[in-house]
Amino acid sequence: MNEEIDDSEFYHQDFTTASEWEVFMARIEEIISQWKIDKERSEKPLDTESIWSIKSERLNFADEHFYLYLYSKQIACSAITEINEEKEDNPQKNPIDSLHDFELYNENNNEVHSCLSIWYGLNEFIVLSPASNGGIINESKIKMLLSSIYVVEGNLVASENLNSIPIFIQIREKWQRLYLGVFANEVIRTNFEMVHLKKGLPYCNYLSGLLDLFKTKISSPCTIDQFIVSTQFTFTLSEFGGFVWKQDLLHQNYDIESLFILPFGVSVDPISALILKTTWNHLPDNLVVDSENYTDFDPMAAMKWSCLIKSTNDPVCLMGDAMTEFLQNLNNSFTIYDILGDFASLPSSENNPLDLLTEPNVPTLSRLLTRTARHSLTRNKRNNPPLSESVLVPLLYFLFPDADEKSNFPYGREEKEHVEPSEQILFKNFDEEFKGFKTCSPDSLVWRLSIILTHCLQSLGGLRAFAHIWYEFVQEMRYRWEKSMPIPGLSPGLPDLRTCLLNQKLQMLNCCIDRKLSRDNAQVSFDSAENSSTDDDDEFFDCSEKPTEEKHKEKLSLWNQPVGRLSKFGNLKLIKTGDPLYIPVTQDPVLKTEDQLEEDTDVLLQLGSDAEAMELRARIMSASLLSDMESFKAANPGSVIDDFIRWYSPRDWIEEEDKVDEWGQKVGQLSPRMLIEDNIWTEMWLSAKPVPAHRQKRLFDDTREAEKVLQFLDLRTISQICELIIPVLSHTAIYRLMEECQSLASDEIQFPAKISNLIRKGEVLTRETRPQPRRFEAIIQEAAALELLISEMNSLHYKLNPSRAINDEINDLVVKLVTGREVAVENRANSEIGSRIVSMFGEAQKMTNLSIGEQYEEGRNAINNVFPVPTAREFVLRANAVKPAVYSSKCPQFLRAVLSKDEFRLCGAWSEDTVFF
Amino acid sequence: MDEDILTTLKILIIGESGVGKSSLLLRFTEDNFDPEQTLTIGVDFKTKRLNIDGSRVKLAIWDTAGQERFRTLTPSYYRDAQGAILVFDVSSYATFSKLEMWLNELETYSTKNDIIKMIVGNKIDVDKREVSREEAMRFAKRHHTLYIEASAKTKDGVESAFEELVHKIIQTPNLWDSYEMNNIHIGNKGQPNQSTCAGYCSLV
Repeated sequence: MNEEIDDSEFYHQDFTTASEWEVFMARIEEIISQWKIDKERSEKPLDTESIWSIKSERLNFADEHFYLYLYSKQIACSAITEINEEKEDNPQKNPIDSLHDFELYNENNNEVHSCLSIWYGLNEFIVLSPASNGGIINESKIKMLLSSIYVVEGNLVASENLNSIPIFIQIREKWQRLYLGVFANEVIRTNFEMVHLKKGLPYCNYLSGLLDLFKTKISSPCTIDQFIVSTQFTFTLSEFGGFVWKQDLLHQNYDIESLFILPFGVSVDPISALILKTTWNHLPDNLVVDSENYTDFDPMAAMKWSCLIKSTNDPVCLMGDAMTEFLQNLNNSFTIYDILGDFASLPSSENNPLDLLTEPNVPTLSRLLTRTARHSLTRNKRNNPPLSESVLVPLLYFLFPDADEKSNFPYGREEKEHVEPSEQILFKNFDEEFKGFKTCSPDSLVWRLSIILTHCLQSLGGLRAFAHIWYEFVQEMRYRWEKSMPIPGLSPGLPDLRTCLLNQKLQMLNCCIDRKLSRDNAQVSFDSAENSSTDDDDEFFDCSEKPTEEKHKEKLSLWNQPVGRLSKFGNLKLIKTGDPLYIPVTQDPVLKTEDQLEEDTDVLLQLGSDAEAMELRARIMSASLLSDMESFKAANPGSVIDDFIRWYSPRDWIEEEDKVDEWGQKVGQLSPRMLIEDNIWTEMWLSAKPVPAHRQKRLFDDTREAEKVLQFLDLRTISQICELIIPVLSHTAIYRLMEECQSLASDEIQFPAKISNLIRKGEVLTRETRPQPRRFEAIIQEAAALELLISEMNSLHYKLNPSRAINDEINDLVVKLVTGREVAVENRANSEIGSRIVSMFGEAQKMTNLSIGEQYEEGRNAINNVFPVPTAREFVLRANAVKPAVYSSKCPQFLRAVLSKDEFRLCGAWSEDTVFF
Repeated sequence: MDEDILTTLKILIIGESGVGKSSLLLRFTEDNFDPEQTLTIGVDFKTKRLNIDGSRVKLAIWDTAGQERFRTLTPSYYRDAQGAILVFDVSSYATFSKLEMWLNELETYSTKNDIIKMIVGNKIDVDKREVSREEAMRFAKRHHTLYIEASAKTKDGVESAFEELVHKIIQTPNLWDSYEMNNIHIGNKGQPNQSTCAGYCSLV
C-alpha cells in the first residue's frame, strides 16, 4: 500500500483531455523531430540520381487522411540552381532572402510539390497535403490546418536546437497547386500566400500594376527605398516552316528502294515547339518601365537567354511500331491461306503438268521472273491482290537479285564504305557486336525477308500483304527446288546451328538442291561408266571362258566386281588377297536442322541410360557405319573386318614389330575391344552386303528433306512466321539503330551503353526456342525510346544547324535539350545558336503576319517584330521592408507573378519582425 | 522434375578414338572400369546428379565416337553444350597433337560462345608416357582451357575433372542461367511434328 502511495507522488501529467487537434499537432511535431534526428544521424544520401530526397509520413485528423512530406534538395544537385548560398553566412537567414529568380527547367525536377522550390527558391520545406484527391476546399478546414502549422512552427522555434523549415499546406483542388505556408525563426516570421486564377486582373498584367500591388500588400509604416525586379519573358516557336523535320527528308524521292531498309524515325516532327526564355535579373524598379503601352523589356536586349524544347506527345516511332505489329500477331493462328483466301490455292497447279517436262532444265533468269508474275496471285481477277505487281516484282527482285542480271542489290556486296573512321564513329565493328546473335548474317536472304515482311505488315497492306509475300517466297523456294537452282543470299555449307531456324531450313533446302544437282550429274557419269564397264564385263566374260583364266575368274566373279572405289588407302593391301585397300565412295553425311536434332536428341534421351538403352542407341546410330561397311565391301572384294578397321579406326589395329606378312606389310591384330565376342562391329560386318554407296538406301533423302522444308514453310501460321522472323527483326532493328546513332556521339547520352544493353537482351531473345513476347516487348520499348531520341536529335540538328557542320557547341546544346533540360544560350542573339533561333522566330512571324494581313497589332509588342507575343511572363519583386512597426527591423518581402494565357498566379511571401512589433 | 535441381548441364566428351572417353564416363557415372568396353558408335550419353557449391545439378554427359568417319555425325550433338572435355592419351603423342583439331571442331560447331573447355590427359597409369605434363599444361594455357590428368583405370583425377568443369560452368551464369533449359526436357515443343516417320531409321 505504501509503495502505491509513493508512486502517486511522482510527477505526472494527464493527457486524457487532449483534443484531437492537439494530438494532430503533436503528431506533426513528432514526425518533424524524428526527421531531424534521422537527418543528423544519416550520412550523405546515397540516391544521387534524383534531385530531391523526399520523406513522407501518413497521419489522420478528423476523418481526413494527410501526408506530411519533407523535401530536401540533394547536395549534389543543388548546384543546378543559380544561387550558391554561402552556408556559413547566417543560419537564421530567411529562406526567401536569396537571389533566386528563375530556375532552369529540368524535366527530372517533377516531383509533386517541387514547384514550391521553383517559385520561392526553397531548398528544404515541409508540405502537408491531403491523401485523397479531393483537396481541401472548405474555408474553415483551411483555417484550422493553417493555424495548426502556425502552432507547430512556433513550437519548433521554441525548441531551440532545431533549425526552422518552412511548412506548407496544400489547399483547394490539387491541380491548382495552391499552398499556404509559414516560416519562423527567433526574429522573423514569414507568411506564404498564393493567388491562383484562370484570368488575371487587368491592372496586374504589367509590372507597373504588380508593383503597386506589392507596395499595398507590404503596407510598411516606412517608405521602402528600393524594389528589385526580375523578369522573364517566354516565347514559343511552334511553326517551323521549312524546318519541319520529316524522316523522309533523308530520301528525297520516295521510291521502292526505301522498302529495302527498315522503316525508321517518327511520323511527325518529334519537336513540337522550341521555347525561348529571355531573362532580366535584379533591376531596380526605377530603371524599368513595363505597362500597357510601353515596355523596356526587349527580348533582344535581355540579360540572359535560355531555351528548351517541347516534345510531341507520343509520336509514332516507325520502327518500334512495326516491331509491335509482329508482337501483336504472335497469337494469330491463321495460316497464310486463311488470310489470302481465294488468292492462293494450295499448290495444285491448274497448269498443264506436262509444262514441267517441256520447260528447259535450267530456265533463263528472265523466264523466272515472268513465271513469278504468272504464278503470282495477280492473275486472279475476282479481287484485287494484296500487293500489286508493280510493288511485288521489285520486292522479289530484291530478295532474289540473281533473277535480275542488272540488279543493284546483289548479295555479298562489299561492305558499304563507312565514313572516314574517326572518333565520331561509335561502333567500329558491327559483326563483333552481334557475335552472340543466333540469327543470320547481315544483308542475307533471311535478313532481307525480315525487312520486306516488316514493310508489308506496317504499310503495304498489313496481314494480307504479309501473307502474300510469304506465299510468293514459298512458291519461289519450291520453284528453285524443282528447277535445281541454288537459293541466293545464304552462306554455303551445312545448316549452321548458330543461325536462326529459318536460315537453317533454307540452308538445308540449298544443300538438298546441291545434292540433287550432283546426284543428277553423277547419274549421268555413272550411267556412262556402267555402260562401259558392262562392255568390259562382256569382254571379260569372253575371255574368262578360256580355261587359262579359270583362277582369275573365280577371284572376281560377277557379283564380286569392285565398285565404288574412291582412291587407294596409302599402300595398304588386303590381308587375305593382297590387293590394294581402297577407300570406298561413301554416302554423303546426313544433314539436320536444329528442330530435327532436338527430336533426335529427345528420342535418344527417352531411352534412358541403362545398358539396354546404350545398345539400342548404338543400333540407332549404326546406320552410317553399316552403309560404310557395305561400301567398303563393295570396293574391296575379299576384304575382312581387319581391313575395314585399319581404314575406319586405325587405333584399333595393333601392329606387331618386325613381323611382315606375305604382302610386305606389318602383321597386326585387332585391339582387345574389337575382339570381344558378339560385339556390334563384328556382328554388323557379317551382316553387311557388298553394295556400293549409290545403290544403297539413301541415308539422307534429299527429296524427302526438301519436301519437309517446303512443307514447313508452307504450313506456317502467321504466329509461327512471326516467331521465325522476330529474332532476325530484333537483329536488323538494333543494327539500324546503331547505324543511325553512329555520328551522334555524346558522353551525356551513352549510346554505346544503351545499345549494348539492347544487344544483350537481343542475344537472349534470339537464343530462345520461341521468342518470349515479354522479352521482345522490352526490346521494342527500349528501341523505340532510342529511335525517338535519335529523331529528336536529328530534328534539332536540322533546325539549328541545317548545314550539319561539325559544331561541338550545337551538339552539346542538342544533347541537353533532348534530355529535357533548359539550356542557357551564351551570348544570346550574338551567338550562332542565338542568331539561328532569331531567324526562325522571324520567319514564323513573317508567316503569321502574312496570313493576318496588315491587321498587325501596332501595340507594345511591335517593338521588335521578330518575336511573337510572349506566351508567358514572370515577374519577381523583392523588397526589404520595416514591418510591422517603425522600430521593427527590415524583413524580406517577395512576390512572384506568373502570367500566361490560361493561368494567373501570384506567390507572395510576407515577413514581419516578431521581436520588435 | 525434381524441384531442387538448379539446372541441367550438357557436357561433351570428345577426342581421338581409343583415348578412353567412354571409360572416363563409365568411371565417373558408375565408378566402374571395363577394359573390354566396346567402341562407341556415333554418340551416347549418361546422366549423373552432382552437388557442387551447395547446389544440385543434373549432368547429361554426351560421349562421342572418335573415329574420323563419325565426324560428320557427332558435331550435330554439340549444340547447346555448356562444357566440353577434350581427352587425349598421355601414352600416345598422336592423340595429343590432334587436340588442336578438336578445339577447332568445337569452335566451329558449339553454339554457345563461352563454352567451358577442359583438357584431360588420360591413362596416367600407363608406364610409357609420351606427353609430358609440362607440355600439356603449356598447350592448355595457350588455349585458355582447364587441364587435369586422370586415369579411368585407377580412378585418379576423374571425379575432380568433372567437378572442376561443372564448378566453372556454374560460375559463368551466362552459360546456363538466362536461356530456357529445355534442351533436356522431353515432350511437345508446340510445333507440329514434321517427321511422321516412326522408328529409328530417320535418326541417322
